[in-house]
Formats: sequence, structure tokens, C-alpha cells
Amino acid sequence: MTTTPSPEGVAQLADALRASRPHLARRSAGDVIASLGAAGQRFLDINDPLRAEALERLPDSSGLSAPMCSAVLDGMAADWTAERLEALVASELGSVAALDDFVAAGPRRVMAVGPTLSVQIAAGGVPGVAVNALLRSLVVKGPTLVKPGRGDVLLPTLFAKALADVDPALSDALGIVYWPGGSEALEDAALGRADVVSVYGSDQTIGALRARLPATARLVAYHHRVSVGVVGRDALTDEGIEAVARRVAVAVATYDQRGCVSPQLIYVEEGGFNSPGDFTLRLSEALGAVEATLPTGPLGTGAASTLQQARGTAELHAASSGGSVRHGKSAAWTVVFEPIPGPLTPVVGRFARIRPIDDATILPGILGPLASHLQTIAVTGLGPRLEEVARGLGETGASRVTSFEDAAFPPTWWHHDGRGPLLDLVRWVDLEV
Amino acid sequence: MKRWQDVPAVPATAFKHIDFVADGEHPPEALFQTSGTTGDRRGVATPSRGRHLVTRLSIYRHSLIPPLRRHLLAGYDEARERMAFISLIPSPRVRIDSSLSFMVGAAADACARETHWLVDARGMLDDEAVKSVMKAAADGGRPVLLLATSLALLHFVERLEANPTPTLPAGSRIMETGGFKGSGREIARSELHARVERTVGVASDHVVGEYGMTELLSQLYEPMLSEGAGARGIYVAPPWLRVRALDPLTLEERPEGVEGVLAFFDLANAGSMCHVLTEDVGTVSGGSRVRLAGRALGAEPRGCSLAMDELMSAARGTS
Repeated sequence: MTTTPSPEGVAQLADALRASRPHLARRSAGDVIASLGAAGQRFLDINDPLRAEALERLPDSSGLSAPMCSAVLDGMAADWTAERLEALVASELGSVAALDDFVAAGPRRVMAVGPTLSVQIAAGGVPGVAVNALLRSLVVKGPTLVKPGRGDVLLPTLFAKALADVDPALSDALGIVYWPGGSEALEDAALGRADVVSVYGSDQTIGALRARLPATARLVAYHHRVSVGVVGRDALTDEGIEAVARRVAVAVATYDQRGCVSPQLIYVEEGGFNSPGDFTLRLSEALGAVEATLPTGPLGTGAASTLQQARGTAELHAASSGGSVRHGKSAAWTVVFEPIPGPLTPVVGRFARIRPIDDATILPGILGPLASHLQTIAVTGLGPRLEEVARGLGETGASRVTSFEDAAFPPTWWHHDGRGPLLDLVRWVDLEV
Repeated sequence: MKRWQDVPAVPATAFKHIDFVADGEHPPEALFQTSGTTGDRRGVATPSRGRHLVTRLSIYRHSLIPPLRRHLLAGYDEARERMAFISLIPSPRVRIDSSLSFMVGAAADACARETHWLVDARGMLDDEAVKSVMKAAADGGRPVLLLATSLALLHFVERLEANPTPTLPAGSRIMETGGFKGSGREIARSELHARVERTVGVASDHVVGEYGMTELLSQLYEPMLSEGAGARGIYVAPPWLRVRALDPLTLEERPEGVEGVLAFFDLANAGSMCHVLTEDVGTVSGGSRVRLAGRALGAEPRGCSLAMDELMSAARGTS
């Protein structure tokens, strides 16, 4: 993992993975799920040395604090069990049996066939994403070559190790190889052998890859996303505000706000018992308190410098617009209250921008410019307006409306970016006679 | 607030979003803009350019000339005859929004016998002019001052490597500024200087680094001509500019010799904001000598989450 591979090495690996497919295709899906779940389960078992190794090495490899790594691993690995994987397959494909043989579906019979080789280029920053990616392919009996992002190399590597222990034959269908992003010769060696390519990354990364794919390869693109929070006036009661602030703080804090599911803008309604300004104060107290249980990761000089630029710029804007900036000094959390939207500088760490809003029903209009990048909307306190707001935001571009508690860890079977992650990988075969 | 150090430093980033004018009585005489690449993060251009409104150009003019004389014209008898300038930086006539072009233009007006502008507004070299100016300079036999960004100097050297010209006369010197920001090219300065010596004929100890930014009206220079080759990497501020290295997390001042992000207090910025926090990293001694360690590399990757600034530029791109 430490040396960059050669294009020939990547090509050989891709060929070997493709060669594993006939064997994999003949196995029962239930059997495959059992092995994957057995490997995944080890990350949840507090007595397992593999979990211990993951927790020991994750802080360095991800840049998150040790308690945050533990919380992220628990949240991620909960979906790596046989039970959850089976539920994922059933939710998307109707039944596990559809992966093994034709099953009745209305007037015809259907079978779901996984890719011959899926190549998955994942993003760094959020540990566990690459394991989710490899599971999605293997669970539909598709060999996969995964190129994890820089900050997410450890978990897929350990997962491959666990799988090799549990089921060596199945692990022949999994290849993990890291190279620095943007290496076209290496990427092309892999892409040219894939029938499905999944890419997690910036719009630029995906745009560049799209142009280089073989015409017959299917692209599953997870481009960058942004998530927002909505705190309705019903949540701003004297009794409730503290608990709401705590839940919002945890949603912001998880992954140090690096997740596509992490809310970055928090819209708070006017007209409640407490004002958006009051909520700002409560959220900053809550983010300060979260430091005790889920501290922010350490910042290098560059990140710290970027954070100072962002905080200082926000302070200047606040001074001239009735806003405020509260932060944890050397702890990388910042809460900016923006009665007038402020400059969107690059930010670091947990950086919540709170924007007051008269009524949540006008949000679809406000978020229109973000439509193609919108993902999760975490909501609370909307009362009977929930459906109206959700409908409007859904029509605008959001693909998930959820609670602040659940925002960070979507269930396995979520419509990731509005689609079915397994449906994106399989090919349906219709048997009409 | 009792000390100048207590005045909050304005982050350089803020110049992209807020216009600072401290002298409201006096309408701005100039608007200088950053190249648009200085705020790059991981190769992604941020959407806006920094702006510096300058209320009194006379302050800029008066503050830029003495340090330039001291560090670039040292050892040359100006009283006998002014030096000729060759500029690889666009002329202020074609780049009215560039503070660097203004600086070269003002210095040329004050100090140069003649000035040859060898690039157009986009910085593209004029091949014919390169040939004739280099030949004329060599024939003249008198030292010249070549002014360039590092990137322009690299392009110039590559041009001369492909099509050699006579080299510059003994005693010539070069002002090199700006690094390779946003160009996607990066070579070691020592390698660049070796190639400069071979093609242009100016030895490394006569290549003087200049450190400046649109947000600051004063400049720092490597004291190569007064202190020799050992001065490489050290930048000296004029007396009206104070530099401090700050802890990037707490913004507390770091002791001499300990690396930190650099904050500048520049009295020449009297019409805007004197105290500017940069993203450059270095050590400081005596409040006026800086050893640059480079640029803070910027934010950590934000995973699958799109940073809001990139998002806004993406939104602009599709609308």
C-alpha cells in the first residue's frame, strides 16, 4: 500500500478480479452475504483484535480524533452485518433469491446480475465509505477493484484482511489499491476493464473520468453534495431548545463535518419562543460541550491557517451585518450567525452557518441555486408543515429528509443521492417465456 | 488597545469579499486585484479575486522606491547614469488593476533610463523583442535590471534555451517575485537560478527575491546584493513594515525563530487595513527579517462534502 502501483500491476489485478467472477457467480447470494457479514461483524466486536487495530490506526490515517473514530466505526460497521446486508438486498432487489436465479415479478421472471468488474474510485475524508462501496459490489456478486481516498485506506484494507480469513475464495474478488488521485495511466488501466465504474468525488473529478470511460461502461457518479439543517419554530421552546441544539451539534460534529450528510447551513425559523440568535448561542454551547465526548481532530498548520482566514472574514462580515461568530479557539468548531448571508470562504472543521428564516416553506426557493448538489435535509420542529417542506425540497433537489439524530448515519438501504446503490450496479435479466 | 499588535489582523481572504477604505474623505485612486489564483486550494480556483482599494497612490509610490533601490540597484552608480529595465511583468498601461505592474511602472519612472516591456497583458513573451532587447543590452555593455515573476522567468529561460541570445552584461541583476502560484508548474529555485545563469548570464547571487502581495503596499526583498549568497530565503522589510509569526491556532505571537503564519503591519496600507494575516508560513527575527517556509497548504479534504465556496462557484458555472 505504501508504493504506488504500476499501470501493468493495476491491469493484472483487474484481470485477476475479472477471472474470479465465474466462481463467484455460481455461489449462492445467501452464502456470500454470510461471509461478508462475518467479516464486517469483526469491526463491531469489542474483543476482536481487528477492531482494536482499526481504532488504533484510524486517528492517524483519517485525521479524526480517537473518540470520533470510534463513533464513526460503530455507525458505519453497524451496516456491515449479514442482517443489514440482507435487508439492503431485499429492499432494493425484492429478494436475495433474485441474485441466484429467476424469480417471479409480475408477468415475467427476473434475475439480477452483478458486474463482471466494478471499479470504484472513492473519496477520502470519511472513513468507512470505501467499505460500504466494496460491500455493495460484492453483495451482488460483482468483483470489485477499489481505489480508496487518501484518508480512507485503512478500513478497506483491514476489511480485505478479515474477508481473506473468513472466506479466501470470496476475497479473490476484492482488490484494494491506492494511488494518488488524478493518475490517468493507473486509472485507465482499471477503467478499461470495468463494466461498472463508481466514482465519489468533486464535480471536476467526475467530469474528467466520464470522458475517459469506455462507451459500454456504466458510470455511477456520486459527485460532491451539500446538506443543510432546518430548525422549525416548534423546536425553539425553553424546555426543548437545549436538546435540539445538542442534536444539531452532533450532526455537525460527526466526521468533523466532512460527510456529504453533514449539515453546513442551518436555517432557523423566526417566531418561536427563542430566536435564531438564541439558538446560535445554544448551538455554540453544545458544540463546546461535544468537545468533551467527541473532540475535533488535530489541525495542521495549513488547515489552522485556513480556519483563521474563515473565522476572521466571518467576524468582519458579522461586525457590519449584525451577525456574530463564536468558536472554540484551538478547538476547530465555529458557529457563525448570519442575518445577512456572509461570504462563503473555504472552511475547516465543524463550521456551522446559521441563517434566520421567516418560514421554512420558503426554503425550496432559497436553496434553488444549490439544487444539483443538495442531499440531506435534517429537520426538527416543523410540526404539520413537515410534508409540505419535504415535498418542496424534494422537488428542488434534496434526496433525503431526516432527523438531526439520524443525519450522520443513513440506513444501508437509503436512496443514496436519490438512487438505489445496488440497482445502479446490477443488470436485470427478464425471462419472458 | 494599547499596542499595535492588539489591532486585529484582517485575513487576506477578507479582501476577496469586503472593500476596506479607511480614508473615507478621499475617494480611491486605484483598484488593484489579485490574479485570481492566489486563493487556490488544492488546485481549485476560488470564485472571487481579492481587491485592494488604494486611496493615495502617492503613499504607494513613495514607499516602494527606497527599498527597491536599496535591494536591486545597490552597487550601481545611479548618479552617473540610470539603469535600463527589462520587464517580464506586464506594463501598467495594459494591466491597470495589477499592483505589481503599478510597482514596476513607478520604479521605472523613478529609476530607469529606459524600460523594455517584453510581455503582453496576459504575460506572453514577444519573441522578436526578446531577441533584439537581449542583443542591444549585450552590445551596450551596461548592467540592466530584469524584473519577472518566477513563472515568467522560467518561460523566458525556456525560450532562451531553445533560441539562445547574447547574455546580459556583468553587474546585471534580476528581481524575481511570486513563485509558481496556480500555474501547475513548480521547479526548485536553485534549478531555475542555474538555468538563468546559463541562459541570461546573471549569477544566482544577483537574483533577488521580492515578496509582495496585492493586499500589502510594501515589499520585502532578499538582501542578496548587500549580504551575498547566504541571504537566500531571507526577506527584509522596510522600517515601516513589521512582521510577526503567529501560532496558526491561537494567533499568539511566536518567539523569534519559531515558525508561524505571517502577519504584516504595514503603515503604507494607511488607506485600507494595515494589519494583514496571510497564509504564508515563516520565521521572523527582529520584526523585520523573515525566512519564508512556504505557503500553508490549506484545508484538509472535506470528504464527499462539497465545500460551500466550491459549491457557489459550481452553482455559478451552471446558471
